[in-house]
Amino acid sequence: MQPAIDLQSVQKRYGEKIAVHDLTLTIPPGELFAFLGPNGAGKTTTIKMICGLLHPLRGTVDVCGHRMGVNGLAAKARIAYVPDQPFLYDKLTGREFLHFVAEMYRVDRTTRDARVADLAARLDMGDFLDKLTQSYSHGMKQKVVLAAALLHDPDVLVIDEPMVGLDPRTVRMVKDLFRQRTHAGKTVFMSTHTLEIAEAVADRIGIIHLGRLIALGNLDELRARAKTQHSLEDIFLQLTNPLVGDVGDAIER
Amino acid sequence: MPSSAEATTVPLAGLSLLVRVKLRALANRVTVAITEAPVRFGATALCIGMVWIGLYFLFRAIFEYLKQSPLEAAVAIPMVFSFFFAALLVMLTISNAILAYMSLFLADEAPYLLAAPVPPRAYVALKYLETLVFSSWSLVLLGLPLMLAMADLSDEPWFYYPLFLAFFLGFVPIPGAIGLVVAWGAARFLTRRLRRRLIIGASITAALVIIVFVQSVRVDELHPNLWLNNMLFRLNFIQSAILPSSWVSHGVEHALQYRINESLGYLAVTIANALFLSMIAVLFVSSRLPVAFDRAASMRSGDARPTRPPAGGVAGLVFAYLPRNLRLIAAKDLRTFLRDPLQWTQLVILFGLMGLYLINVPRFSSTLSPLEGWGMIIPYLNFGAISFILATFTSRFVFPLVSLEGHQMWLIGMVPLTPGRLLLAKFAFAMTVSVSVAVSTTILAAVMLKMPLGWAALQAVVMFAVCAGLCGLAVGIGARMPMFEERNAARIANGLGGTINLVVSVVLVLAMLCGMGLMGIRNVRRGFEFPVDAGSLLIGGLVATLGVTVGAVALLIGARHLRHREV
Repeated sequence: MQPAIDLQSVQKRYGEKIAVHDLTLTIPPGELFAFLGPNGAGKTTTIKMICGLLHPLRGTVDVCGHRMGVNGLAAKARIAYVPDQPFLYDKLTGREFLHFVAEMYRVDRTTRDARVADLAARLDMGDFLDKLTQSYSHGMKQKVVLAAALLHDPDVLVIDEPMVGLDPRTVRMVKDLFRQRTHAGKTVFMSTHTLEIAEAVADRIGIIHLGRLIALGNLDELRARAKTQHSLEDIFLQLTNPLVGDVGDAIER
Repeated sequence: MPSSAEATTVPLAGLSLLVRVKLRALANRVTVAITEAPVRFGATALCIGMVWIGLYFLFRAIFEYLKQSPLEAAVAIPMVFSFFFAALLVMLTISNAILAYMSLFLADEAPYLLAAPVPPRAYVALKYLETLVFSSWSLVLLGLPLMLAMADLSDEPWFYYPLFLAFFLGFVPIPGAIGLVVAWGAARFLTRRLRRRLIIGASITAALVIIVFVQSVRVDELHPNLWLNNMLFRLNFIQSAILPSSWVSHGVEHALQYRINESLGYLAVTIANALFLSMIAVLFVSSRLPVAFDRAASMRSGDARPTRPPAGGVAGLVFAYLPRNLRLIAAKDLRTFLRDPLQWTQLVILFGLMGLYLINVPRFSSTLSPLEGWGMIIPYLNFGAISFILATFTSRFVFPLVSLEGHQMWLIGMVPLTPGRLLLAKFAFAMTVSVSVAVSTTILAAVMLKMPLGWAALQAVVMFAVCAGLCGLAVGIGARMPMFEERNAARIANGLGGTINLVVSVVLVLAMLCGMGLMGIRNVRRGFEFPVDAGSLLIGGLVATLGVTVGAVALLIGARHLRHREV
C-alpha cells in the first residue's frame, strides 16, 4: 500500500544548526500518528517539510505518492495543514473564510454547505461563525481553522498542537473526529506536547530529540524500548533526559 | 513523476479567487470603519482631503511662480516633471521591494497559502498586485494635484486628463516589478548579517552622494545664472531616454502641447515595458519562490543573538542615570527599538533628510541678512519641522509602548513597581531617543545658521520641552487608552487612542510654535545680533513650561488610570 507520508533520510539545517538529522519515517493510510519532542527538537521543521513550506537539504518527502518539490501542488491538494498559531483573515467572517477555503480546494457548493453545517454543529461554532474573525478567541479561531482543514476531506491531516485553547467538550469532539477519520482510511499526523492525548488516541508515536528520531512505535513498543511499564510521560522524560549526553545512549537505555 | 492526467486533476486556486477574497475583506473593513467608527473614518477622509488640497495649492504656486518668467519656465517645468517621476521611480522601487518582501516572506498569510494548492504564480501575482496598490496610493495623492495644478494654469487639451491618468497607471508597475525581483533576491541570497551590512553601506553611500551633489551645486561662489546652468547640466541625466520616468514626463509634456501622437507613442512605450517587466518579474519570482521562501524561513529560525545581562550592554549604559528597576524596562524597550528596523529606519530617514537639508542651509543664510525677515523665519521653520517629525515619531512608536506590554502585563503587574514608575521608565526611553535626535538636529540647525549662542541655547531648551511634552503625551495617553489585546503596533497607533494622541500632539506643537512665533515677530526688527533679552527669555520659558506641564499631566492621568485598571 502506498504510504500517506514517506520521509527518507531527510536532513534540514538552519545555518550551522542541524534541525532535522537523517529522518526516515513512513506513515501508512489510516494511522493516527503522534509526533512528540521537547521544544526546538525539530517537530515543526519536519511538519513544514511535509507541507512543502521548507525544503530538505537532503532526502525526500512524499505525500500520497507525490514528491514535494517535484509535484508539490498535487501533494498539497491531498493535505490539510493546521499550524500551532491559527491563521484567519481578520476582516472575514468565519463562514466567509470557510467558503474561501472550500473554493480553494474546489469543493462544490452543495457539499460545502452540508459540511459547513455539520462542522458548525459538531464544533459548536454556530454562535460566532457569522462574526468577523478579529473578535474570536484563540479557541474559536482553532475551531474555524480545524473546520477549514476538514472541509475538503483531506487524505492527510497535519496538525500542530491541535488541542491548545479548546474547551474539554471540543477536545473530546476533536479526538472522536480524528478517530473517525482514521477509521475511514485517512491519516492524521499530530504534533503535540499533550502526552495524555497522544497516549489516548495515537496508533503510533514518534519522539524526536535534537533533530533525531529517537523512538518510534506504539505505546507497548516504546515501553519495551524504555524498559519501563510506566506512562508515556515517564517514557518521554526518560528518552529526552537532558542529562543523557548522547541521544544514542537514550535509545539504548 | 505523476502522469499529466494526474497533474490536471489537481485543484488549483487561481488568482481570481485570491483577489475576490481580498476584495471581500476590504469591503468588510470599510463597512466596519463606517459603522463602528464613523468619526475616525470621517476625520481620516478629511485629513486626506486637506493634504490633497494643500498639495494642489503648493504645486499651483510653484507653477505660477515659474510661469512669471516664460524663458525659465520652458526649461524648468519639464525639469519639474522629470524630477517628480524620477523621484517616484526610486521611491516606489524601494517601497515596493520592502512591501513585497514583507508580504511574500513574512506575512502570516504566506505559509497558509503556500501550504495550500495555490500555484506560486497566482500567489506571487496576488502579492505583486497588493504591493502595487499599497505602495502607489501616494502616487495618486501626489500625482492628481500635480496634474490638476498644471492643467489649471495651461490651456490644456481635453485628452490631457485621460492621458495623464494612463501614464500614471502605466508607470506604476515598472518600479513594482523591479521591487518584486529585489525582494526575491534579498530573500534568496542575503543572510541577515549580509543584509544589515548592505543596508548600512547603501545608506552611507546614498548620504555621501547626496552631500557631494548638494555641495557641488551650492550657489555661494557662482553667479545665479551660472549656478542654474551648472545645476541643469548636472541634472540632465534624469531626462535620459532610457529612464521610464523620462518617458512619462515627455509624454505628459507632449499632451500639454497638443501633440497627441507623440504622447501616445510614449504611453505605448511605457505600458509595453510595464506589462513586459511585470510578466517577467512574476514568472521569474514564482518559479523560484519555494527556495527563496525556504531560505527566508530558515534564516529566521537560525537567528540567534548573544545574550546580555538584562540591563547590560549599550542599552544599560544609556540608562545608567535611572534606578535599576526602571533601567531594566527602559533598556528592554531600547533593545526592542534597535532590533526593529521598521522603527529606527523611519527615525533615521526622517531626521537624516532633515540633516541633509540643514547642511544645505548656509546657501540661504549667506545670501540673507539676519536683519531681514527670512533670517528669523528659517530657524522658526526648522524648529517647526523638527517638532512635527517628532510628533509623528512619538505617535507611531512611543504611543503603542504601554499597549504592547498587554501580554506581559501579568509580569509587569507583579514586579514591585508602581504604574507611575512603569510609565516613567517608558518616558525615559522615549525622551532619550527623542532628545538625542531632536535636540542635536536643533543644535545642528543653529550651527549651520550661525545663530548666536544665546538664541541657540534657547531653541535647544524649548526643543527639550517639546520632547518632554510629546513623549509625556504619547506615554500618558497610551496608558489612558491602551489596546492590550492588540499586538500590532501599527494598528495600536491607528486606533482611536493613537488618533487622539496625534491630534493632541499636533495641537501642542502648534501652541508651542505660536509662542516661538511670537518671540520671532518680536525680534524681527532686532535680529539675532542682539543678545537674548528678558522678554524673549520669558516667552521661551513659558513655552517650555507649557510643554513640560502637558507631558507631566498626561503621565499623571495615564498612571492614575493604570493604577485602577485590573490586569
